[in-house]
Amino acid sequence: MPESVDPRRLRITNDEGTEGTLIGFRCRECGVSVFGPATFCQSCTSFDLEAVDLGREGSLFSYTIVRIPPAGWPGPVPYVLGQVELPAGPQVLAEVIDCEHSELTIGMPVELAIQAVSSQEGGEDKLVYKWRPASV
Amino acid sequence: MAQLRPGREVVVAGVGLHPFGRFPDKELSDLALEAVVESLKDAGVRWKDIPIAYFGHVYYHGMSLGETTLSKLGLTGVPIVNVENACSSGSTAFWQAYWGIATGIYDMALAFGAEKVPRGPVTVTAEDAPERYIGGDHMMAGYALRARRYMEETGAPATALAQVSVKARQNASLNPYAHRKDIYSLEEVLQSRMIADPLTLYQCCPTSEGAAAAVLCARESLPQYGIDESRAVSIAAAVLTSGEYNGRGADHSAFSPYRTEPAALQAYEMSGLAPEDVDLVQVHDAASIGELQQVESLHLVPFGEAWQATVEGRTALTGDIPVNTDGGLLAMGHPFGASGIRMIHETVTQLRQEAGPRQVTRARVGVAQCSGAGDVTTVHILKK
Repeated sequence: MPESVDPRRLRITNDEGTEGTLIGFRCRECGVSVFGPATFCQSCTSFDLEAVDLGREGSLFSYTIVRIPPAGWPGPVPYVLGQVELPAGPQVLAEVIDCEHSELTIGMPVELAIQAVSSQEGGEDKLVYKWRPASV
Repeated sequence: MAQLRPGREVVVAGVGLHPFGRFPDKELSDLALEAVVESLKDAGVRWKDIPIAYFGHVYYHGMSLGETTLSKLGLTGVPIVNVENACSSGSTAFWQAYWGIATGIYDMALAFGAEKVPRGPVTVTAEDAPERYIGGDHMMAGYALRARRYMEETGAPATALAQVSVKARQNASLNPYAHRKDIYSLEEVLQSRMIADPLTLYQCCPTSEGAAAAVLCARESLPQYGIDESRAVSIAAAVLTSGEYNGRGADHSAFSPYRTEPAALQAYEMSGLAPEDVDLVQVHDAASIGELQQVESLHLVPFGEAWQATVEGRTALTGDIPVNTDGGLLAMGHPFGASGIRMIHETVTQLRQEAGPRQVTRARVGVAQCSGAGDVTTVHILKK
């Protein structure tokens, strides 16, 4: 099974590499959560942090359809990039898959999707977090 | 936060610019030295008078690039500092030059920047970074996310964003130094190739080559060097800030998504000037949406209203808040290390009433605002 693209942000939770959760830290002093690694709270600078699961759901804060990709982009073109707000507050930028461009709307609920991605530049395959419209 | 205690008064004594565009037959140092020599001549000083130099650049052309570049003028043993702060590298070099003089360490300083940016979409992260798999490292996609959010919250139509580019081209058509001087219609901007919805090609700044330079001097030292005081432009504020993290991640919100607002508030406080005092402004318009959001973050118009001000012509050369009078990043192009000092060059030129056909009527106070990856912001206020 490929590894998580960033084990500090995405923890894979099954042997097939198809399930996982976004992870981060929550500050025990001020309550602010961050996505990914943290040495201290990025709001109040307290060191008193606890590791938390940030789950697999969110809502679309903004989106764009990328027609000209960055160098080395291993996926299809065009692709949808979505800034997604998690219930705990942090925002997570990732590709939005399995959607019609016309159905994209700000505020729509989305859920985590995990896909193996092979690097165009000869690197290892990685399990990457993506978003898809939430199944009703 | 640091107390911004202005020391002694610092002025821009001279400016120089190499045209922006593509120059396959010139090396980076050729571009840089043309701008440097022009700035020295403009100030009326000699190379041996310069006690320190700061060089803004981003892309790698070998180590100690400032030293190797200036060695072609002749090394004089002075400190030369290489400055990398993404798109704000040039304005950060200028900021350092200001503080070196304001605090009394030097009487004069050279700030210059140069770049030959490769073609194609600009990425920020290293080649093996997770972002390369995730697809989020795309400068214009980031601007597109903010544009979508801005349009959603303000009701701004796509034509209002496109008008920013139309205005930029109109201004640049009056500027022989600009990378893109052809005038485009609203339709041409909207129908150019889509990069990342809703931003079309002509709403994204070209990556460019070019150089800019400025000679700064303590006002009290001007007579000592025989510098013409009547052409000196005072630096009323020099502010550099970086991101303030809140745990949410990159900010793609509609209002004040960059760190410009806190930097601007510091700059207004330092200068004793208010937004109402500002006659013209150069802002970081890497994409059309950027100009709208920066103008609002500088408190020149209320949040959510810059698109209307643009449509009404208020930000044009003939408007009450002329923005990016030389064509901005959208038409000047964007050689990272040079752009921040290019904004200083344009502001100085306007405040000296030397901008020719693009001269704005009232030009006593000008703001230059430059952003860079890492939420870097510089705000400089210049006054004649």
